[in-house]
Amino acid sequence: MAGTEVLSMLWTWTPFLAGGFAWNILISLVAMLIGTVFGALLARLRLSGRGPLAHASLLLTELTRNIPTFVFLFYLAFLIPTEFAVAGQLYAFPVWLKASLALSVAVIGFVSDNLLVALRHRQSHNHAAALLFIPSWTTYLLIIIMASSTASVIGVGEIVSRCNVVIAAVGGDETMLWVYTYAIGYFLLFCLPLNAAMGYTRKRLLARIHAAAS
Amino acid sequence: MARGRLFLASCLLALIALGAGGNALATASQRPAADRLDLIEKRGLLIAGVKSDYPPFGMRDAEGRLIGFEADLAAELARRLGVRLQLVAVTSTNRLQKLEEGAIDVVVATLGDTAQRRQIATLVEPGYYASGATVVAPPNSHLSTWADLRGKKVCATQGAYFNRPMAQRFLLELQVFNGTRDTRLALRDGRCVAWLYDDTGILGILADAELANYETPLPSMMISPWAIALAASERGSRLEHAISDTVADWHRSGWLIASERHWAIKPSQFLVDMRELWTRQQPDGRPLCARDAGTKQWPAACRNKQLLSSADVDGIQRLGLMLKEQSGFDLSIIHDAYDRKLFLHGLWMTLQLMLACITGSLTVGCLGALAAEAGLPLLRGLVRFSAALGRMTPPLLLIYLVFFGIGHVVVSRFGWTFDGAAIAIVCLSVYTGCAIVAALLDAVAVLKGQQASFRLGWRTLAAALRLAYTPVVASLINVVKATGMASVIAVPELVSAATAIVAERGNAAVMMNVLMISYFLLVLAVVQFFNYLERRVLQHGRH
Repeated sequence: MAGTEVLSMLWTWTPFLAGGFAWNILISLVAMLIGTVFGALLARLRLSGRGPLAHASLLLTELTRNIPTFVFLFYLAFLIPTEFAVAGQLYAFPVWLKASLALSVAVIGFVSDNLLVALRHRQSHNHAAALLFIPSWTTYLLIIIMASSTASVIGVGEIVSRCNVVIAAVGGDETMLWVYTYAIGYFLLFCLPLNAAMGYTRKRLLARIHAAAS
Repeated sequence: MARGRLFLASCLLALIALGAGGNALATASQRPAADRLDLIEKRGLLIAGVKSDYPPFGMRDAEGRLIGFEADLAAELARRLGVRLQLVAVTSTNRLQKLEEGAIDVVVATLGDTAQRRQIATLVEPGYYASGATVVAPPNSHLSTWADLRGKKVCATQGAYFNRPMAQRFLLELQVFNGTRDTRLALRDGRCVAWLYDDTGILGILADAELANYETPLPSMMISPWAIALAASERGSRLEHAISDTVADWHRSGWLIASERHWAIKPSQFLVDMRELWTRQQPDGRPLCARDAGTKQWPAACRNKQLLSSADVDGIQRLGLMLKEQSGFDLSIIHDAYDRKLFLHGLWMTLQLMLACITGSLTVGCLGALAAEAGLPLLRGLVRFSAALGRMTPPLLLIYLVFFGIGHVVVSRFGWTFDGAAIAIVCLSVYTGCAIVAALLDAVAVLKGQQASFRLGWRTLAAALRLAYTPVVASLINVVKATGMASVIAVPELVSAATAIVAERGNAAVMMNVLMISYFLLVLAVVQFFNYLERRVLQHGRH
């Protein structure tokens, strides 16, 4: 395939693939939302001191750390029914939400651990150190966005499954190479600047902590 | 470890809750047989029920006579018994009723062998034919495995026994239509990528000129043998024995395959497999499928594996089947030798992947950090940039890119092929290695701050690794958890094995729990190992 042919093929399919990437972002944000809510709850309970609740929260956090997201994705895909009947009314359980739920388990563990540190810093009036949670959270969002590509294995129409659709539709030997590379480009373009910005934020915060300490 | 036990206990509880829906098989009462064979011989006539509306298995010719594959079977049966034959048309709804009333002697009418039917009739083993579920797809559908249909819109016709289980096993998004005509139109209009249908009924669909070039690219699933049925009271009778021996002979001689060809039915894999099974010999030259001298039963290996009960087998297989009968858990990795082997092989493969990925990631990480600190400014920038790129590339896409994209180009240009497992290990190791490079370089920066003359080399690598222990181990545990991704390129590891078993058996609840528990324990073992190492490393650091 000539260079211009490749470019025009990619250009034709760009809206379709970009739409897929939007799904990756949505799945990841929902996973972060669910994970942050439950993770924050666990962090608060752990902060509350000893007691059985604090102990149970620590246990739950440890549990979420050891659950492999990829396997859990299959687990939920197979075991959550596609639709629910509530009071005679059928409600569909969308497959992308299963992906978000699977990914959120890792987020729970992350937020529980990191927010606990941040909350402790805040208690000791070390506000700059507590703010370090924000760049960490954003960096974790990037990790989840990359992991969201695994949603394709349970049939979510995100960017990787759309790549496979394009490949099947276009055919040709080298199409796979270009389409997958192009898709990786989306992740790099989105994640690299955000990652750099968070690195910068972290540096600034650390400098502030240093300045306050000296 | 107490945490691990607690999790295990909760998993087992979940398993029990999920499995509780299954029913234990009630054992059918064994009544003494009042033998119908005497009656048949006395009247010199075998009355057989066959279908009249299922061409070419059972149909009417121009003169209204019942003909077809199954009518031929009934005729051959009568010939063997040395009596005349009378055919009676039956339907799916009345066939077992007529049998129970005694209006007919046998039923040869596309009757699938199921546990429920075994409660109300005597189903003769072995089965004489089998049907399963397959799909009709438009030309060039690019379907090669059932997994290709995961999450896709698939049309189905209402009422088929396999709709629900197939949707669950392969995560299909079913669009169920009323009747074959509606389904056919939906498929033609592209409202779904394929049509899930009975593989024996598909002949009629493909005969339609509009769908003439459509294809059936996938192997049949949920194959259910068709059995000749007798009244429930005939269990263990001379009649059952005689028919069972006859069907076994049909398989051995290849007569069924010839008959299938005679009726221009698409060759079924079931008949080929059965012929192979029934003619297989044991090492000592005796046939494998011979009746046991004492019980007069066929050996378990020659029977319908879906419907074996614990009374039919022994050893560990018996244990697994008893569990299934008592509690409803179809823990097929215990009672089925094939599933067990598949699962254990997957477990072994996953262990190898985990070890290889840990080693590979550490190697990539250490070499990357050493290269970055080698003192060449250009190289340093290059390594840092590559590590940033590597960390922001989804490992799944990297695996696809290397396996399909680059792999395809390399195969077509140079003829080299790569092992899927090796590609998965390299991709996951590169992704994780990039994170380790970053962690090591951070540690080096700290060490340089403490001691300006610090330089990273082979000797000082240990110091940097010790300082970066926590983030490095976190990365390694992540890669251990991610090894399941190798399943996307058909590496036969644990996830592949579990989904394959679910596809074959439909025991999703049990297998998914087994998979989760296995993976959890593996990850836990790796975590414990690194904790142990950390204690050793820290102690070592203090000396």
